Amino acid sequence: MKIYIDAGTTWTKILKIENDIRDYSVISTRQLKDLDLIYNKSTGHSLNKSKETYENEVVALAYGAKKYLEDNFIALDLGSRDIKYVQYQNKKFKDMDWNCSCASATGATIEMLLKFYNVKIEDLKYTQEKYAITCGIFGLEKIMDDVAMGLEPSIAISKFIHGIAFNAYNFTKNPQKICISGGFCENKCFLDSLNQYCEVVPLGRFVLVDGLALMDN
Amino acid sequence: MNKDIIGFWGYPHIDVINKYKKLFPCATWIDLDIDYNYPDVKFTPDAYCVIIKNICNNAFYLKDRLITILAPIGKDKCDSAYFVSEILKEHGFNIVQTVFEDKCHDKSLLKFPISKSKLPLREKIELITKNIVEQKDYSNLEACEAKFGFWGVPPNDLSILELFPNTTEVFGWTRAVEAGFPGDFEIETYVDENLPTIFFTQAFCSKTNLAKYLANKYQGLYIDIDAIPSNSAKAKIEAFLKLR
Repeated sequence: MKIYIDAGTTWTKILKIENDIRDYSVISTRQLKDLDLIYNKSTGHSLNKSKETYENEVVALAYGAKKYLEDNFIALDLGSRDIKYVQYQNKKFKDMDWNCSCASATGATIEMLLKFYNVKIEDLKYTQEKYAITCGIFGLEKIMDDVAMGLEPSIAISKFIHGIAFNAYNFTKNPQKICISGGFCENKCFLDSLNQYCEVVPLGRFVLVDGLALMDN
Repeated sequence: MNKDIIGFWGYPHIDVINKYKKLFPCATWIDLDIDYNYPDVKFTPDAYCVIIKNICNNAFYLKDRLITILAPIGKDKCDSAYFVSEILKEHGFNIVQTVFEDKCHDKSLLKFPISKSKLPLREKIELITKNIVEQKDYSNLEACEAKFGFWGVPPNDLSILELFPNTTEVFGWTRAVEAGFPGDFEIETYVDENLPTIFFTQAFCSKTNLAKYLANKYQGLYIDIDAIPSNSAKAKIEAFLKLR
């Protein structure tokens, strides 16, 4: 059996391949160390990058999204603590970027907000208004101010998510179509918000582990 | 304490360097841009260019030994350097302000033996900065067939340069320094458009604007780093080098 893992800040995505059967799963990254897994290749923020099995996250994304990228789209991975994208044009790498230093406007913040305000992700809906979240911390301040003034927390968080979507669109230099990788694929409010600016193709949470498997072949 | 050091930052005008070499032939020359791990004098705001912070920390630590500081303040350096030179003057430092904005009128005559050499990138950049004072001839260095470009100033933490292959050509201000024209905008903004290039600046430096613009223009990778690069910043460079 071959095992590939993408150990993100909050969640670890696992791909097991045995006799060509692929088994995907997600566990909390905190649980990972208890599993004592021996893996063929790995990526993600929570792992030791000096290990021989470790692969660069953006490279894993590029491999995993290759079949989509070859059609000239952008693949954007929105994680718990960072945001990164790759772009191919005519089957050749064209561009990439990685906002690797600020975690205040990414997945972990949304999870924290949902817990803090006791809001379910299903309660979030696209709102036309958005918070400007060039700085996520200022965005959080806006949420707290508006909730204090009586706004429903679910609406305030939705406005924050719209801000993240708008940032993602600008970060990728305003493309016509974006393929989304990562947990935000399961966030309808985010997908609907981003869809106001461009066509959106959710690829799911396992793009990086698929990329690792491809690199291993 | 004996005063035995000439401090400088950037690339002081060559005539001024030569004058002070003659005036103080036994002096030790110290590049104040570099981080020598001297105590932080907290002379600047926290969110500020780390190179300017280095200048302040080094100057105050070495104050008793400094004969003078040769202080570029023109387009060959930056406004922050001008302000800090004036502030250091007020604190009793002997400051010689210089402006080195000479333009090269025949670029075809320029050779860049260090920038184009087979040396590791870190050695290339260290040699270029060392040669500001030494002024040795390196025209005998073997050239490499460049596969990547590095555009920018010498980073505060030179270890990021070790991520690059030896086949990386130097562009930007560092290349302009090798040419002997640190204020020549045309040399500074030149890159080989066929080379995948990383456009580096220190965070909080006004060159971030130029680096971002050029990275977009040439489809390179823009990266700004404060004092010490994070693992993620290093990974970003590695990814670009691997994918290109």
